[in-house]
Amino acid sequence: MAGPTISLPAPIFAKISPHPFLVRSLTRSTAADHPPCRANGRATQELRPVRFNATSLSHAHGSALVRLGDTTVLCGVRGELLPVERIPQFRPVDKEELRQQGENNNGNCGDAIGRGELRDYDLLVPNIELATGSAPQFLPGVPPTTLAQTLSTRVYSLLHSTGLVQAGDLKIWYSPKEQRRGEDVEMGGTGDKEDGDEEERPVAYWVLYIDLLFVSFDGNPFDVAWAAVVAALRDTRLPVARWDPDREVVVCSKTERRRLNVRGLPVACSAAVFMEKEQSEAGAGPREGGHWLLLDPDRLEETLCKEVITMVVDCSDDETRIKSLEKQGGTLLGRELIRGYAGIAERRWKEVRTAME
Amino acid sequence: MNDRRRINGPAGATLAPFFDDAAPQDLDTRSTRSRPPNATRKLLLKTGVTPSASGSAYLEIETSAKPGLSGLKLSCSVHGPRALPKSAPFSPHIVLSTHVKYAPFATQQRRGYLRDSSERDLGIHLETALRGAIIADRWPKSGVDIIVSIIEGDQDRETSKLQGDEVWDMMNTLSGCITVAAAALADAGIDCVDTVAGGVAALVQDADDGSAPSIAVDPIPSEHKRILAACCVAYLPTRDEVTNLWFRGDLPASDLDLYTSLVGHGIQASKNANRVLIDCLSGTVG
Repeated sequence: MAGPTISLPAPIFAKISPHPFLVRSLTRSTAADHPPCRANGRATQELRPVRFNATSLSHAHGSALVRLGDTTVLCGVRGELLPVERIPQFRPVDKEELRQQGENNNGNCGDAIGRGELRDYDLLVPNIELATGSAPQFLPGVPPTTLAQTLSTRVYSLLHSTGLVQAGDLKIWYSPKEQRRGEDVEMGGTGDKEDGDEEERPVAYWVLYIDLLFVSFDGNPFDVAWAAVVAALRDTRLPVARWDPDREVVVCSKTERRRLNVRGLPVACSAAVFMEKEQSEAGAGPREGGHWLLLDPDRLEETLCKEVITMVVDCSDDETRIKSLEKQGGTLLGRELIRGYAGIAERRWKEVRTAME
Repeated sequence: MNDRRRINGPAGATLAPFFDDAAPQDLDTRSTRSRPPNATRKLLLKTGVTPSASGSAYLEIETSAKPGLSGLKLSCSVHGPRALPKSAPFSPHIVLSTHVKYAPFATQQRRGYLRDSSERDLGIHLETALRGAIIADRWPKSGVDIIVSIIEGDQDRETSKLQGDEVWDMMNTLSGCITVAAAALADAGIDCVDTVAGGVAALVQDADDGSAPSIAVDPIPSEHKRILAACCVAYLPTRDEVTNLWFRGDLPASDLDLYTSLVGHGIQASKNANRVLIDCLSGTVG
């Protein structure tokens, strides 16, 4: 005997039994007018539109507000000065050596030294704050969640590996010769004696504090956070700074500002792998059942998926370069799939670029 | 001891940029107030900025004419009402928990991630202001979280010297927090006896020559020479009730009229804010 049929409205079904609900929506009857789509109405490979809003904060040196669907992130970049005498293991780079190596390797080696400086002196400080009530699971008053810590670390390592910011831009030089030249004109040019012990030297570095605040959270935090970091860095204008030898401080100009030189435009594109079998069952035979690649997952989908792929691409020099590729979990993704995925990431890159400009 | 769960940056402490080449004529030109003393600044209020929360609102106070001066920007989200954890003791009414947090980039000095005493202070004042408005016994055994993020503080970026302005800034911030939290509560559908809104009035002295101080509504500290006292009022207009009153400064105890007129002006400011609040809510919440 058939039991009484209970029909539930879709939102309640989604709430009490999310996994079967998503499976059902993805495998819905193949009627021509209804292509299978996700619970949120998007096709599996459909991305949410992204919107940028730069220079929205006045206390930060650079800022950006990024919206991806219902996920909203605010990023502020603030520069602070780190005098070299405060760096415990400071070793000045030998300029001569730098130039020689630069000649040999077409500038690649100087680049490597610059990156070393960024990392050794810790000049980039990204932090992500989720506990702003951006979603019911992130409430303030607790230490940063695992997700917030992971995101901060991923942004940190990607900042260093992509070489978005160069250490040269963050260095403040003191060149005694240049400053003395002005005086020499007045004094009749009698200087030039102490040149030997007063070399041009770096006196301080800018440290960039990159703070990200989630205003609203609806999945795919890494893509949005990374886009916000890139947009805010492109927006950053640091004051022009010089060393004042008399007072022994770095002095910034109030009026002059210099745009930070940001190299390339890496864009992250994430997808979640959704297994047909629920996680508990999958323990027996993980290869059973199909799986879907859900691009730009939202909050509900992220809770149901354990695996996420993130590809960071940069197509700024007419050629798609994969800057980073991250994937956890053991689902088999073939070469074809990865190649296809690069195509999707490329599409994403174009969207982000047009939105940013 | 560094917090290892965050990225802390270089071991040596970093310095905020030190600006030098200020043109001499800039030094003494404190911008003066262009509004009449009883006019508040324009508010922008919007609900529903955080779709994943039960209720949310965003408030922005108009930037004044001077470009360096930033207006207040607040975002508030409300989560709940929801069941209290099993370990919590029985409560016959709703348990409010309020958090106010400055974003690291909200003020001139970079703020840390841990809540400091001024933020806790703001949270407590906000809680008192809201507790008087919510019909608390409608939700026994449940709790609600009200989180206000200060995205941008009300502070002059150009003034190099801070003559204790933070105290007065906190007043303005609190009044904004109250208004934005009331909007978010209404957006979350939590029953209140009335909409509560904040207002600030201050006793200011604009000239050095010992002239009589005057009362200004919604003061910007950098626009006045000195602020003698200020009060922040949370007011329910239809019931004519004050739920929270925060008074700071020193006034002669003999002059009671001054106190009442200061609070009266605060109530005036709060009524202005309430009008914006009602407009915003009747447009969205129905």
